[in-house]
Amino acid sequence: MRPCGVFDRSYGQDIAIVRTWQHWVTLLTALVLLYFFPLFGSYYLISFMNSLAISVIVVLGLQIVSGYCGQISFGQAAFMGIGAYTSSILTLQFGCPFWVALPLSGIMAGAIGIIGGAPSLRIKGMYLAMATIAIHFVVIWLILHLEITGSFKGLYPPPPRLGGFEFDTDERMYYIIMSVMVIMTYAARNLVRTKVGRAFVAIRDNDLAGEVMGVNLYYYKLLAFFISCFYAGIAGSLWAHLITVVNSEQFTLLHALEYVGMLIIGGMGSIPGVFFGVLFIRILNELVMFTSPVLAKTFPWLGSSPAAALGLMAFGLAVIIFLIFEQRGLAHRWEVFKASYRLYPFAY
Amino acid sequence: MIGFLQQAITGLMVGSLYALVGAAVVLVYKSTHVVSLAHGQLVAFGALFFWLFLGGLGLPLWVSLIPAFILTALLGLMIERLTLRPLIGQPLFAAFLMTFAIFILLEGVYVLYLKGGSRSLPPFLPTGNLVIHGLSIPINQLVSFCVAILLFVGLSLVFKYTKLGLGMRATAEDHQLAQSAGIKVRNIFSYIWILSALVAAVGGIATANVMDIYYMLPYIGINGLIVAICGGLDSLLGALMVGLLLGVVENVGAGYLDPLVGGGVKDVAAYVVLLLVLLIRPYGLFGLVRIERI
Repeated sequence: MRPCGVFDRSYGQDIAIVRTWQHWVTLLTALVLLYFFPLFGSYYLISFMNSLAISVIVVLGLQIVSGYCGQISFGQAAFMGIGAYTSSILTLQFGCPFWVALPLSGIMAGAIGIIGGAPSLRIKGMYLAMATIAIHFVVIWLILHLEITGSFKGLYPPPPRLGGFEFDTDERMYYIIMSVMVIMTYAARNLVRTKVGRAFVAIRDNDLAGEVMGVNLYYYKLLAFFISCFYAGIAGSLWAHLITVVNSEQFTLLHALEYVGMLIIGGMGSIPGVFFGVLFIRILNELVMFTSPVLAKTFPWLGSSPAAALGLMAFGLAVIIFLIFEQRGLAHRWEVFKASYRLYPFAY
Repeated sequence: MIGFLQQAITGLMVGSLYALVGAAVVLVYKSTHVVSLAHGQLVAFGALFFWLFLGGLGLPLWVSLIPAFILTALLGLMIERLTLRPLIGQPLFAAFLMTFAIFILLEGVYVLYLKGGSRSLPPFLPTGNLVIHGLSIPINQLVSFCVAILLFVGLSLVFKYTKLGLGMRATAEDHQLAQSAGIKVRNIFSYIWILSALVAAVGGIATANVMDIYYMLPYIGINGLIVAICGGLDSLLGALMVGLLLGVVENVGAGYLDPLVGGGVKDVAAYVVLLLVLLIRPYGLFGLVRIERI
């Protein structure tokens, strides 16, 4: 839906990401606000934004493989783990700087993701989802049983440094994480309007028709898994160097399910949907965190620390409600809202 | 040799529990084509309800079985009525995602109730070991093994001969055709969820008989789903065979491979088996060869 009086006169305009000067103003303001946020944000808000941005990167990857290519994956947490461990091992044992370890951990996760995506050549839908769950457990098992990953004790990667400057606080890491998030978001948004992105959508909508049209299913499915796991690996690496401790407890199946839930709530097949989904779930979690001590006081039978359990319940309930009432997610609501203000004062 | 047989027998006993949970998943798939992750929680809640009456209130065995079964059946019915019925006519994948959301919601309730602790059932089956030629079999596990086998025979008979079972099979084939033949498809859905919740409850109670009720219990349900998929999703026989096989593979594999890799084979064996089966025979070992070629 274009605003009144905006017409596309060329293909370039038709597929442009930023269309009007109003878009440019909004985008630049948002970017400036994003980078100046630590100047007036509290410590709590900054660390919240950090974890938010890392989740956004993971879910962006999931959006590409599930939302655009239609191959559901419950293995995203495990691939994030692979990224985190790769980055930690590279910096700790090989003395590799963070700036080299970051892309390498993405590539490592992506390479293993290709192995993980191999079953997608023969199975799809629910079968594939189960296969990715199996891959998740195998990866976590390997992490726990290999020597190099430090088993149960985990690893303690150092914070990144640039020259003599050490990014050892949440506030300093904020700039790295946000920059990576902005680049990754742009890359994802750009990807889905290229030939590759259109091939993904063709596979999602009808794989047989896609193949007849000349889309190489094997190549593009594996590519989708590679890209998705690359995103997860990058997020894992950032996560590892942000909190400087990595263990297998941070990458459980529940985390993977949470990412899928964010995708459902945000809306499949939409890049802004990723942001809505992640924000919704994170804010829901924070609300539960704040209210659960009060609830625990009022209702003693809830026990002393019901936050984790209540968080799960709220999350499950939210996903159920969205699946019943709004399967297209918050992104669809956003589109409806945009259409309504763009058409104002006309009805249609 | 004795060591191998001993491990195989232990595996068979554990495998019968997997087979039960797998059967519950198969039941739902057979008539509604919904693959359910939520059964892990039905298993856990079946065991928990039984504990409430047996351990919590101290009722005798037979009296506490009845309310436990009723409550689990109600839970199954509620899952079907409140969450899956609104999705009729939607893509089946939405229903799969729905069962995963139910899994998480009930996981929250379960964790909230346990509060990080565990509950153990008082021994309600005869204890002791049956020793044959140097192989020892715990009697309580033998009882639950026999119950599982009997339940399988019963379920197969129901599906083969009763009107209800035939209606369920017809529903699985085609909803509209079944409706035009006078079968109330909606009622069938409710019945099947009740039946499958009952089977899951039996599985849960049998599982709680050999281990504590603790936070890992719902994940037994994921093993049940693996059994169902490897067996071919619509085959009760497949669920039984693969369930027993999986138990044996886990135990024997753990016995022989644990010293080599440093332990923990049991935790991962099921997933490796699943990956292999999905790669080699994606439609399962026993199921109808109906999966789409892609």
